[in-house]
Parts: sequence; C-alpha cells; structure tokens
Amino acid sequence: MMDAMDAMDAIGPMSDDARAILLLCTSVAAGRGDDARPLGPAGWAKVAAQVARAGLAPGSLLGLDEAALAQLLGDAVPSAEAAVRQLARTGQLAIELDRLAMRGISAVTLADDAYPWRLRDRLGPKAPPVLFTAGERSLLNAGGVAIVGSRDIDAAGESFAADVASSAARAGRAVVSGGARGVDQTAMRAALAAGGTVLGLLPEGIERRIREPETREALTDGLALLASPYNPGAGFTAGAAMGRNKLIYALADVAVIVASAARTGGTWSGAEEALKAAWVPVFVRQADDAPEGNRLLLRMGAHPLNAPEAPDPATVTPSRQAAEPAAPFVQATLGLDDNA
Amino acid sequence: MTDLLQTHLETMLGAGAVFRDGQREAIEAVVQDGSRTLIVQRTGWGKSLVYWIATRVRRDAGHGPTIIVSPLLALMRNQIQMAARLGLRAVTLNSANRDDWAAIEADLAADRVDVLFVSAQRFANEDFTSRLLPTIAGSIGMFVVDEAHCISDWGHEFVPDYRRIGRLLPALGPVVPVVGTTATANDRVVADVAAQLGRDVRVVRGPLARASLHLDAIPLADQAERLAWLAEHIPSMPGSGIVYCLTVADTERVAAWLQANEINAVAYNADVDAGVREGLEQDLLANRLKVLVATIALGMGFDKPDLGFVIHFQRPGSPIGYYQQVGRAGRGVADAYGVLLTGREDDEIAEYFIATAFPPTARMQEVLGALDGVATATIRDILEHVNLPRGQVEKALKLLEVDGAVGHERGHFFRTPMHWAPDEAWIAGVLDARRQELASMRQYVDTSDCRMAFLARLLDDPAAQECGHCANDGGKVWPRDVDHDLVLAAIRFLRGDIRLILSRKQHADGKRLGFINGEGHALSVYNDAGWGRRVHEGKYRTGRFDDEVVAAAVALITGRWQPSPAPTWVTAILSTAHGSLVGDAAQRIAAQLGLPYVECLTASLGHASQKDMANSWQQEANARRKLGIAGDLVLPGPVLLVDDIVDSKWTLTVAGELLRAHGSGPVHPFAFAVASARGA
Repeated sequence: MMDAMDAMDAIGPMSDDARAILLLCTSVAAGRGDDARPLGPAGWAKVAAQVARAGLAPGSLLGLDEAALAQLLGDAVPSAEAAVRQLARTGQLAIELDRLAMRGISAVTLADDAYPWRLRDRLGPKAPPVLFTAGERSLLNAGGVAIVGSRDIDAAGESFAADVASSAARAGRAVVSGGARGVDQTAMRAALAAGGTVLGLLPEGIERRIREPETREALTDGLALLASPYNPGAGFTAGAAMGRNKLIYALADVAVIVASAARTGGTWSGAEEALKAAWVPVFVRQADDAPEGNRLLLRMGAHPLNAPEAPDPATVTPSRQAAEPAAPFVQATLGLDDNA
Repeated sequence: MTDLLQTHLETMLGAGAVFRDGQREAIEAVVQDGSRTLIVQRTGWGKSLVYWIATRVRRDAGHGPTIIVSPLLALMRNQIQMAARLGLRAVTLNSANRDDWAAIEADLAADRVDVLFVSAQRFANEDFTSRLLPTIAGSIGMFVVDEAHCISDWGHEFVPDYRRIGRLLPALGPVVPVVGTTATANDRVVADVAAQLGRDVRVVRGPLARASLHLDAIPLADQAERLAWLAEHIPSMPGSGIVYCLTVADTERVAAWLQANEINAVAYNADVDAGVREGLEQDLLANRLKVLVATIALGMGFDKPDLGFVIHFQRPGSPIGYYQQVGRAGRGVADAYGVLLTGREDDEIAEYFIATAFPPTARMQEVLGALDGVATATIRDILEHVNLPRGQVEKALKLLEVDGAVGHERGHFFRTPMHWAPDEAWIAGVLDARRQELASMRQYVDTSDCRMAFLARLLDDPAAQECGHCANDGGKVWPRDVDHDLVLAAIRFLRGDIRLILSRKQHADGKRLGFINGEGHALSVYNDAGWGRRVHEGKYRTGRFDDEVVAAAVALITGRWQPSPAPTWVTAILSTAHGSLVGDAAQRIAAQLGLPYVECLTASLGHASQKDMANSWQQEANARRKLGIAGDLVLPGPVLLVDDIVDSKWTLTVAGELLRAHGSGPVHPFAFAVASARGA
C-alpha cells in the first residue's frame, strides 16, 4: 500500500539533523502559547555555523541542557532556555509530522539529500531551512520555466502565460509558479492541460490548498508538487508572498515575467530581486500593450520575449555571475562559506 | 539507583516488598534516554508497576509526562491509587469524558499531569493532536504502548489505528524512551513489534503459564447443549467469572438464559453504553455479579486478581486471543478454571470474521471513488454511491485513513493527494496468519497433551512445560454429559427468544417516512438452535415452513404479542425466489387466526435480491423498485404483514407504506426469523 509510511520512507528515515532543524525553524511541534519564535533562514545559518565550528552536526543539539546549549550557540539563538524547550519536543514533532504525512504532506530540510540543490546553491544562507511539500517530490529538482506576473491580468497577458506554459509542457519542461490567482494559476492549468508538470510555491501553508479537488487530482496523479516554506496550516500574508518569490526563480532554470506593475507590487519586487541576484536568466514579455513595469525591467537588463514560447536558458549568457558560488552539501547545510 | 527503585517499590506496596523476576531489570532498561524496551510478561506480572516507577524516576529527572497508549476504556480506580502513592497524577482522555478535557488541558499546560492514558484511536482525532497535545508544556517524557502486539500485523487483533502507532515509534526521536508491553506474543509477533520499536530493543520476557489456572476444552453439539452446560456448572465455579461469546447477540442471549436459571449474569458488549459498562466492570470487581457475559469488548486492561473462572461459549479465533482472555482468571487466587466450550457453528463464525476482516479491494476503490471530484463528503453521501454496509464503509474509510489516502474532520471525509493502491500480498498474508491461528485453536481443542503446555508452545514460550493440573494432565475434568431436561429447557428458551422488529422511522436520507409500521416480531434468529434451524430447512430444503413452526408463529401472535389494534386481515410479501413459501405459511397463519388472507403485494422478478443490497440507501431504493401493490385488493382494517426473513427491514417498511397508502389500517410486521447476528 502506498501510504504515509511509504511517503515518509521516500525521504528516508528522519535524521536527528532534520529533527533539530524542524524543531528550531518551524512551529509544527510548538506548545500552545509558547512564545519562542522559529528561526528564519538567517537565524538558522548562524546556529548552523556555530555547530559546525564546534565540529558537530545539528542533531547533536538534541538532548543538550541549557548550559551546554548556551555555551555552544552563544548569541546565535535569542534564548538558550527557549531553544532547549523547542528541542525537547521530539515526541510532539513525530506525532504532528505523522498527522501531516497522513494528509499527504511531508517536510524536507536542509539536512536532507532531497532538499532542492538549486535553492541550496543559489540562495545559500537565504535558503529556507524547511519546505513542506505535497505531490510528486522529484519535481523539487526538476528545474523548468518559472512563469510569474500579477494577479490581475488582461486577456493578452493571460493567453501569453497560457501559451508559454503549454510550450514548456510540450517540451517536457516543468512550469514553476506561485500558485496564486491570475498568471500563476493560468500557467499551471495550461501546463497540466498540455500534459506537463507543475511546481507551485505557495504564499501560504499548503494544507488547505491540497483539499481543492482540481489541485488534489494533479497531485495524486504525480503531475504536480506544491511546496511552501510556511507552516502547513498558515494563512496568506503579503510578507509571506514576497518571501517565497525568490523560491520561484531559484527553483527554475529560466524565468518569464508576463506582466508587472512599475515599481510596486509583489511581481515587481520579486523581479527586481531576481535580476539583481541573477539566479537564472530572466525574460520579460515584450509587447506594445504590455504594462509599464515590463518596459522598465527590460531596461534593467531582462531579456525580451516576443513570442509566447518557453525560452531556452542556454541561448543567453547570464547578465551576471551567480551571487553565491555552488557550495558542497555539508557546507551549504551548515551555512558556511569557503573561507570559514 | 538500585536503592531508589526499592524505595519507590516500598512506597507503593509497603515495607519489605520485593520486585518480581524481571521487574527491576525492566525499570532500569526503561528509564534511560532513548531506550527501547519490549516487555513480554503474563498478565498480572506487574507491568504497570514498571511504568509507574519509571515515570516517577523520569519526572524527578525533569522530563515531561508519560503518554500511555492503552485500549483501556477507563482508568481503574486501583491503578490511579497505585500511581498516587508515588505522587503521580494520571489522567485519561476518552470520548466519554470530553467534559473534563478543558480541565485536563489546563493541567497539561501547567505540567500537573504525570501520566496521560489515551487510546490509539485518539491519534486520529484532530481535537487531540491539534488541540490537546500542544498544551503539553514540555517534552513527552516517555511513550508506552500497552498491548503492543496490536502494532504487529501478525497479532491476533488487527486494529488499524495501531498501524499509526507503529509508524510513530521510530520517529519519536533519540531522547524519548519507548516501552511496549504485551502478555501475549509468539516469536513472530515479538520480532515484528521489536523491529517496529527501533534499533537495540531490549526484550524482557518471562514465562506465560499460570500455576493456578486449570484448563479444559469440551466439544458439545449445539447452542442448546452449551447453554445447558453453563446453567449446570457455573453455580459450582469458584467466585465470579466471565463467559466470552463471539457475537453481541449471543452475549444477550446467554445472559438472559443464565438469569432465567437464577444465575446473576449480565451481558457486556460494545452496544452497551460506556458508562454502564464501567458500572458492570465495577460490579464484577466487587463480586456483585456471578458472571459477566461478554464479547472481547471486555478486554485488555481489565484486572481482577480473584477472577475464579473464564468460560468460552464459542472457540476463539487464535491462541493469543484465547490465552489473553483465559489468562484473566486466577491471577491472585490458588485455583481458577478456564473452560472452552465449542460446537458446530464455531467454524462458521470464525470464517465469517476472516471473510469480513477486510473490505474487498474493489469496494475500497468505490469508497475512494465516491470522494473523487468533491471537496468533502459525509458517510451518508458515500453510502448513496457505494453498495456496502455502513460498517464496512466505516472500516474501509478507517483503513484508507490509516494509509493516508483519506482524511476526516468533524464527520467530513476527504481524499488526500496520496496515491493509493491495495497491498493484496499484505492482506493475503494477514488472512493466512488468521487461518493458521484458527487451525491452532482446532488443535488445542483436540489435543490430549497438557493444555497449558500446548498453549504455551503455541505462543513460543521457551519456558513451556507440563502444568500437572489441567484436565489432560491429572487435574479437574468437567463433565461432558449435559442434563437432558436442561437441554430441553434451553431449546424452549431459544424458541421463546422472540426478536422485536423495531420499525424504521426515516428514509435512508434521514427524512421522516410518511407511514410508520407498528413494532413487529420475529419468531427466531435464523439458523439458531431454537426455531431458526427449522426456518432454514423450510426455506432452503423442504420449501415449506412445517406445522410446528406455523403453530409457534400463531402462538406468538395470539399469546405474547397480541398486536393492537388487532389485525382484521393477513397479507404477505411473496418471495419471488422461493415460490409460494411465504404465501403458503401466511395463508395457514390466517386460517388459524380465522382472518382473511389477501395476496396484494408483489415483489417483481428481475431485480437484485434484497439481501445483496448492502446499506440503507441501496436497500430502500431496491425495495422501492421491486415491490408492487394491487391497490384495489387492499382491505381497510389493521393488517398482519408476513415475511420470511427480515434483515434491513426496508422491504417491510416499504410494503407497509404501500399498504397504508392504499387504504389499509395500521401494519403489524411478522417474520419467521431475523438474519443472524454480527460480532463484537
């Protein structure tokens, strides 16, 4: 029976390293009313660096008492007392992860081999320590074509997004999108309709979304993966939407911006960040009726895309070198750079 | 630490108390961070003492509360008292004490709870996992799985929720100690459970035999003989005890028979309200009852040291199960008796349990199919689309849920994005194990070897040896002959065991019916040792209900029943598959009652048989398709409506509705038998 057990086996038995990351960087095992804040990417990077400096692995944090933890981590954690409390909750973590597994949701951490190498290499210390996923796990490392754009989109933009998505699908390339209304969902639907696969990075927890029959069927059929760095039960926030934009770019091999407002909104700020970081080549729809933001992005160095086809990243030279050098597994996990 | 453990023991049991063989070793193994221990010891050995003292030690070292997964319905008062002697506060969470949950939540948050007892089913409950568990302020200090054989597929009881517990154990992390306890496990189960507990499992295993228990096994012809045997011999059994039955209906029947024979007996089964059950357990504990007649609903965790006897009314399906049940007797007394009665319907019941252990794969797929394309669905929605009994749909949903293919929240079921395919090989393996266990039980009945040694060897007990006091080994041999008069009385009792046919009041969709039948009566339980066998013979062999059966029906109608307002005419539901069987019998009943008999209802050919319809939706729809009425023949007065065998009652319900709609008076349904009973 393909069941929750197999789903967990697919990731391999959970390592103590993964447990430590989940306990410190998420609130899935948190106690009610516990005010210990989960660590974000930067917070975790600091902890990981301290642990590595001591020649240890993150799993060795489990079972340390407050004094030992304080000595090891120094001011890398806001409160050693809170961290000990978080790290003691392995039992609750197991129960909650099992509950999630039964819903089709699993977690992948920086300590897991299954963690997408594109995020690890491209985002470095900004890589989210944990992703919650549902659906076909291999899509995490499939690369593909990111298709982004605003929620409110005109008919021309919509058909452009759909055409790019179906051309990607026909070429056997995955479509990466944000899973929001507008361009995101248009692209995902078109890709699935053309027999392709999609990877959706949600701006909220994935627990509610996977209940929608249409989404659920794509996930069950192994044609889609939903992923989110936020707690599975978390609701949508604008900040969360901004935070996950970089994941859409960094998980793809090439990005297409269909429509962006100028100097405002999530699409714009995500695009600006992606151009600056140059994780992947960025294309922008070029058309007379395209919005002002598109023209500005082209002036900032984005590649023009005139026909609604999935662009081939091999045809362009990146405008800049990748911001972070590709780091070997352990160092990236621990948030070290080569000079440490 | 050694002295400390002794101090705790004496605090619990008094100065000078000594550990039993293996107890100290078990506690020492259990209290270490991250240890994994499986305790295989006979019931009454003192497993709870191990986890009480271990919890005390862990709590004193600053760890969080112990969670004990246990099938206990309610915590026994004496257990709470034992815990209290060590200053431990134990609470239980179950559906019956939901009112206390808020207080328990507050206590958990304030770290005032030392031990939390929950059933495995709780872990499937959102309220528990998402609301209650997060209130535990610190860590989970220790995790105990009572009756740990349940997490093995090869255990005699397959409890789907324990699959989830088995999955949790290796995930609990490197710090939390995990303890499994069981009284009953053969090598295969021990190996399986140990593997699920994780690496480096310490197995603490002791001998299973109990010196005070005298075993015997007696084949008897039928239910009547076994009832007679019970009535004759229970009064001479020491103290109070348990009679185990395989089905709910049998517990009620046996209890009623014993009461009629002035034995203080009460039925105990899953249909009895939880509060009442707890009261019955207390009554048995206090010897206010001679005997509790129970299904396995009276099960694990029930501890009465002076229980004098355990009798099985039918042969149980597995040696592990039998050992566990019979092992409730004689824990704290010098002599106790374990007598297994067995008869010809035992194989049939056992095969039925095996056949219905898993819903067929195709039906599982249908249940899943009913959830496709919709966000959520209720059980009712599913029953409308799937021809399966409600119980089987619930079982299918539970299996699918444990497999992660289906989730549920507040009565709404939904499909998860997990692909599901049946594991036929696994199911076949489980069923095969069941058949082997059944074969072992047949051997147990037939053996002339020492019974305790035979049973212990079936359970792979390395210490198995001749007991010297079972019926095969020089001990008491209970009589095989039954008193003839008592047997006749038992047959009369079974024949008088009239079943009520409670009227349906709602359509399958829950809407109220336009007409509601009066309360009806059935003469027998199909194929039982009362009239049931004669009904079976009439229906499938001779094609005619014999005169005695019809006379019994008339006696019931004019005697114990006396329907009111009295019927002025008789009609019948003509069974298409069985010729004139029912019409003929109804006509003879009418003649003896001096009433006119009218054939106005027809069940048309070419439709599916009602007995193939598996749930209310399907049954109501099929009955409506099938039944026709010649309205101009219907008489105005109250009517006796005759059918052969009643199961879902939909045919009688729809027929009654048709009669009323065409001008008859109130409808009194009568059937020759109710379809036979279900288990647990």
